[in-house]
Amino acid sequence: MKKILTALTLSVLAATAAQASEGHIELKKSDWSFTGPRAHWDTMQILRGYEVATQVCISCHSFKYFSHRNLTTAGFTEDQAKALAGKMDMDVNQKLLSGLTAEDSKETYGLVVPDLSVMAKARHGGPDYIYSILTGYEEAPAGVDVGNGNYNKYFPGHVIAMPAPLSDGQVTYSDGTEATLEQMAHDVATFIAFISEPERVERQQMGVYVLIYLVIFTALAYVLKCAIWRDIKKKS
Amino acid sequence: MNKAMKWFDDRLPIFSFLDKQLANKPAPKNLNYMWSFGSLAGVCLMLQIITGVFLAMHYKADVNLAFDSIQHISRDVTWGWLIRNMHMVGASFFFIVVYVHIFRGLYYGSYKAPREVLWWMGILILFLMMATAFIGYVLPWGQMSYWGATVITNLLSVVPVVGKSIVVWLWGGYNVGDPTLNRFFALHYLLPFIICAVVFLHLWALWTSKSNNPKGIDLKKQTDWIPFHPYYTIKDIFSLGVFLIPFTFMVFYLPDYLGHTDNYIPADPMKTPPHIVPEWYFLPFYAILRAIPHKLLGVIAMVSSIAIMFVLPWLDSSKVRSANYRPIFRQMFWLFLINVFVLGWVGANPPEGQFVVIGRVCTVLYFLFFLSLPLVSKYEKTKPLPTSL
Ligand code: HEC
Ligand code: HEM
Repeated sequence: MKKILTALTLSVLAATAAQASEGHIELKKSDWSFTGPRAHWDTMQILRGYEVATQVCISCHSFKYFSHRNLTTAGFTEDQAKALAGKMDMDVNQKLLSGLTAEDSKETYGLVVPDLSVMAKARHGGPDYIYSILTGYEEAPAGVDVGNGNYNKYFPGHVIAMPAPLSDGQVTYSDGTEATLEQMAHDVATFIAFISEPERVERQQMGVYVLIYLVIFTALAYVLKCAIWRDIKKKS
Repeated sequence: MNKAMKWFDDRLPIFSFLDKQLANKPAPKNLNYMWSFGSLAGVCLMLQIITGVFLAMHYKADVNLAFDSIQHISRDVTWGWLIRNMHMVGASFFFIVVYVHIFRGLYYGSYKAPREVLWWMGILILFLMMATAFIGYVLPWGQMSYWGATVITNLLSVVPVVGKSIVVWLWGGYNVGDPTLNRFFALHYLLPFIICAVVFLHLWALWTSKSNNPKGIDLKKQTDWIPFHPYYTIKDIFSLGVFLIPFTFMVFYLPDYLGHTDNYIPADPMKTPPHIVPEWYFLPFYAILRAIPHKLLGVIAMVSSIAIMFVLPWLDSSKVRSANYRPIFRQMFWLFLINVFVLGWVGANPPEGQFVVIGRVCTVLYFLFFLSLPLVSKYEKTKPLPTSL
């Protein structure tokens, strides 16, 4: 038994060491409405994030897995989703695409700007990473040549082709919230987390019930097992 | 058996078969929880097949549509996210279960006479599972799918003379592309059913040679045996519950934890990811592959690291099965297990500096375990065996 424990401890150590050597830059950690035991989508925050996305990010990034109808998963009514789509001259089922073509993007930035609709799953740290990137622009330290790029504390390699997209007061929120850089970054990261995994909150809420069911099932199976095995145990 | 069942059974004796081979099958009465992992592996296989068939109803094996179709499954298909998470986490848990199952066999000497063929079928299943999982990981057509497939299929090019032609034949072109994805989907659908067939042979061999037991002795006394049902059915149901709790936790709370974030970036043949790493269950073998500086020898070492288990019953000539009565083998077993974990850790890291050295030492130790067995089994002083339970 002791050996099994030693082996397990070693393997856990090995696994954490592997993780540690992978993640190099410490990200900014933020509080998210959709994590932890009280996980939920904060409708107002998603609306603000949507406003940042459609007023700023959309000029370069597409959100190809998002259509306005998806907003109903976050607690919007069908009519609200339709109204928002209408404001953009879009149908509720239409994909949210940028006007920037792949060719133009290559010419300007030297690469095709990535789609943002699964971004929260496509990077270590997910929403924390997006939040860190958006707030991580700095003056390049002396001696670092960024070329045509920009210096970002959290981007692997630090030189990112995206110019700092957000600055204080960049958008006007419909709910009157003050649009500070931190606020906008947090809101849009929440929005991207939502469209990356719209089922996330439902999944986490459902998980509790399935787990409770399984614990009861397993406990009953154990009691039954002991009862059935009693005569065998007695004999030996 | 009621009348209708008997009528049917006289014509196709399924019920008597199940009764004889499952319900009333005598099993040693001292089997511990390590013996639950076989039935758990069966549950995993069924789970993969059922979730897989539902995924296949919505998946599109086309390089332009595959990535989108996975997103469609997670977003738009009713319960699609649940089915996909179960299939993804299920693959990892299947390997955990099968690895425990194999190490159980190693510890208790279950590979020895008269169970050599049973053991062979197991190793064959492991090979088939690895092929299935590797091919399955290509289907979502993310960056790791594409680059993993490119790196691993390229290994075949080391086969002398015909290597290059084999790779082109396998790809259906001059690189991993649409024809590759299409045939991989066909194979990914086929292989699990071949696994089922080999599992049947595995069980047939089991019914013929009967279960080994923790003491590793041949049970002669009638009272050492109990019927499989209800004793082991209820024990296995309890074990299933214990298994399903962490499984469910991963499915609902950490579905992507065991995967790689790069696989949510669509495959891009023009952009190589900084680290190409296989799924965790391949890491020890990947480490062995990279430990050897010569490409062909590396591939041979990697394949041998599993294939060597085919001859294990003859490398280890000790008549004593259970490691509980073999002091030296027992120490070797635990060191071997730790060594495999260290290899996995090396496999997860880039092949630089200390990792190269550690990887090489561990690769030598890995094979030394097997190759020293003829000597160890000859000179080891075993403890006296009990004659019954
Ligand atoms: C002026 C064009 C432009 C705007 C506006 C813009 N981006 Fe970007 N974004 C880019 C480019 C170009 C890249 C590619 C950066 C690279 O790989 O160097 C990028 C990359 C990213 C990445 C991925 C970084 C990585 O790890 O590869 C994220 C996340 C991102 N943008 C978020 C946003 C968000 C959120 C907004 C809106 C607040 C936004 N971007 C607005 C041009 C833009
Ligand atoms: C031995 C059993 C099996 C194993 C070990 C296995 C393993 C895997 C793995 C590792 C993936 C990649 C998961 C991901 O990253 O998304 C995958 C995907 C897939 N598998 Fe399987 N699988 C098995 C059986 C099956 C069967 C029987 C089917 C269908 C009949 C199937 C259909 C699919 C499909 C459609 C995908 C792509 C969808 C997806 O990636 O989520 N699988 N499989």
